[in-house]
Amino acid sequence: MEDRTDGRNANQLRPLGCSRTILNRAHGSARWSQGNTIVLAAVYGPKAGTKKGENPEKASFEVIWKPKTGQIGKQEREYEMILKRTLQSICLVNVHPNTTTSVIVQVVGDDGSLLPCAINASCAALVDAGIPMKHLAVSISCGLMEEGSIILDLTKSEEEKLKAFAYLVFPNSPLSVIDKVHSSKEEPIEHGIITSVSYGAMPVSGYFDCLERGRAASAAISEFLRRSLQKQSSEDASRAAQ
Amino acid sequence: MEQRWANTSRLTINEKQFIEEALRSEIRVDGRRLYDYRRLTIKFGRYRCLPRATILSCKCYHLRFSLFCCNCREDGSSEVQLGETHVMAFVTGQLLQPYRDRPNEGTLAIFTEFSPMADPSFEPGRPGEAAIELGRVIDRGLRESRAVDMESLCVVAGKSVWAIRVDLHIIDNGGNLIDAANIAALAALSTFRRPECSVGGDDNQEIIVHDPEVRDPIPLTIHHFPIAVTFAFFHEGNTLVIDPHYKEEAVSGVRMTVTVNSNGDVCAIQKAGGEGILSGDVMRCLRIASLKASEMTTKIKEAVETYNAEVALKKVKRHPSLIAQKITVPDVEMKEASFQKTKELSADMENSPNQTSTSLTTTKDKDTNASIGRPLNWDPYSSSAPAIVSSSTLPELVGTSKDANEDQMMQTDEEYDPNLKKDQIASATGVSSGIHKQNSPPKSLKDAVKPKHKRKKNAERGAR
Repeated sequence: MEDRTDGRNANQLRPLGCSRTILNRAHGSARWSQGNTIVLAAVYGPKAGTKKGENPEKASFEVIWKPKTGQIGKQEREYEMILKRTLQSICLVNVHPNTTTSVIVQVVGDDGSLLPCAINASCAALVDAGIPMKHLAVSISCGLMEEGSIILDLTKSEEEKLKAFAYLVFPNSPLSVIDKVHSSKEEPIEHGIITSVSYGAMPVSGYFDCLERGRAASAAISEFLRRSLQKQSSEDASRAAQ
Repeated sequence: MEQRWANTSRLTINEKQFIEEALRSEIRVDGRRLYDYRRLTIKFGRYRCLPRATILSCKCYHLRFSLFCCNCREDGSSEVQLGETHVMAFVTGQLLQPYRDRPNEGTLAIFTEFSPMADPSFEPGRPGEAAIELGRVIDRGLRESRAVDMESLCVVAGKSVWAIRVDLHIIDNGGNLIDAANIAALAALSTFRRPECSVGGDDNQEIIVHDPEVRDPIPLTIHHFPIAVTFAFFHEGNTLVIDPHYKEEAVSGVRMTVTVNSNGDVCAIQKAGGEGILSGDVMRCLRIASLKASEMTTKIKEAVETYNAEVALKKVKRHPSLIAQKITVPDVEMKEASFQKTKELSADMENSPNQTSTSLTTTKDKDTNASIGRPLNWDPYSSSAPAIVSSSTLPELVGTSKDANEDQMMQTDEEYDPNLKKDQIASATGVSSGIHKQNSPPKSLKDAVKPKHKRKKNAERGAR
């Protein structure tokens, strides 16, 4: 098995970091870091009115992507569009019809897997703002090596060297009170896939391998996300009590 | 729709009246005195990036790298928090053609981004008046006062000079954006390092940009620190306040920004519109500002020096691990050929804890590192190390990971015992992690599920 430049093995993720409520003016904010890729997301809660062309019977989302330096170009617009569609699918859009929720994403550091990091950060920021959601989204990048092995959580140098890689977004694994045995007839929710963005040509088997690995990794990330959100929300409760 | 949103950030009449009345008795809403600044926190970041296509090839001359390295460190980024106001600054440099009328000087450009996350009334797209004003004030303070030495940025006169670009992102608007952004720009410029380049090649016209790993990058020459001090006036100029909060800004009609340096020079004054102020008041402001400027300059310089000392300390610590590599037994594949890789490995090992440590205030980092006392032998990717890490527990982790690695090494190869006893644990750890990867069985999906990631929440929370 080839060694990755930063010494991780194929299934290892970079150190994850998540903190919420970092900004004062924004209704919800979160900072998500995967190694050196750091993204700051802020949410301004539902405001009245929708833009032209949006369905007024549903809540709509507006995503603004701010790169670290440089002009806003097509890449940023693409990310905005992907993020918007992903968030629209996980939020309960019928609760606040005819409103617009703004999500602003600021790139603080970019070392590969930028879009997955941004999706994770936006999700945490939406939780911080209290926007009603069906479930959370966890995102991971998977790369396909020449010999067919999969590596997770790519760095920038790996993304540039690999022939094909994909960004995958899964729903997070639910915490169920009911025993899993009884509901084993249905496919578990985390087997669904919300978003998939692939770069480069990969064989079908390779893509499905990516999905399998990504799904397994998403369980780990959603565990981390739940823990970090729960810990901070218990802190908030104590602050409110004071 | 946008107008309705902008209205929600306007103050109610009650709030306005309350703030004005309180100021009559010299009481400010957040409990400060009239001439007090809010708490200032300066953080620096070192984010690894590829050497960007910053080195453009000019039409006549081609540029080559002496060593193409993927781990170029990007210094020159700062994050400043002044009370609730949060500003980030990123400094980058490119080689470009100079302006025609100044062929010997580099260029400095300041770009301001009023991110919509800072304030509900900030809109994306074209910068509004406030954004342009802020950019201009900082530009005048830094560039036109010749704070940064431009002539040292010239590489080949008339053909190629360094163009420094400062990107300011306003993340959170808590009031007094100009001062905070100015401090952020100064802090980022002080820690920015540009790669060393020399003119050489066949026709003595080629510009060779040296890799930062080979030759140390050079800091910018900053002659003086122009500090912007913003005043807000109330009650027809009778009460003046320093570092206004965003609510105070909304109440007052008049604002003036004075950019002075610690030598007492006035670099820029900005008073755009509003009621008139007596000239005596303007002189008073200048005097107060020069006092505040010297305080602020000391704070910035201290923060920069602490950060630089920490960087230097990290650099020194790298060397023993490299030297020790040569002593180790050759059958571990840590040959000369893979020297670069191990250098990168150790650089990475150091850089990832850097990420956590530099996010805290810089003085704390110095203590943490000093207490370790030897090359950072914490291998974040060793699967036997405990998963939960926060930089506050860094010294403890060093102990535990060392133990874990020692156990590992006992199992894998007896030859490494002498290394352990020689206290070359840093190198041995790097080596052992190499062995570990070779000897471990092929990973299965189950391994993916194990939590192998670190918790940096504590560090992040501590930073707030």
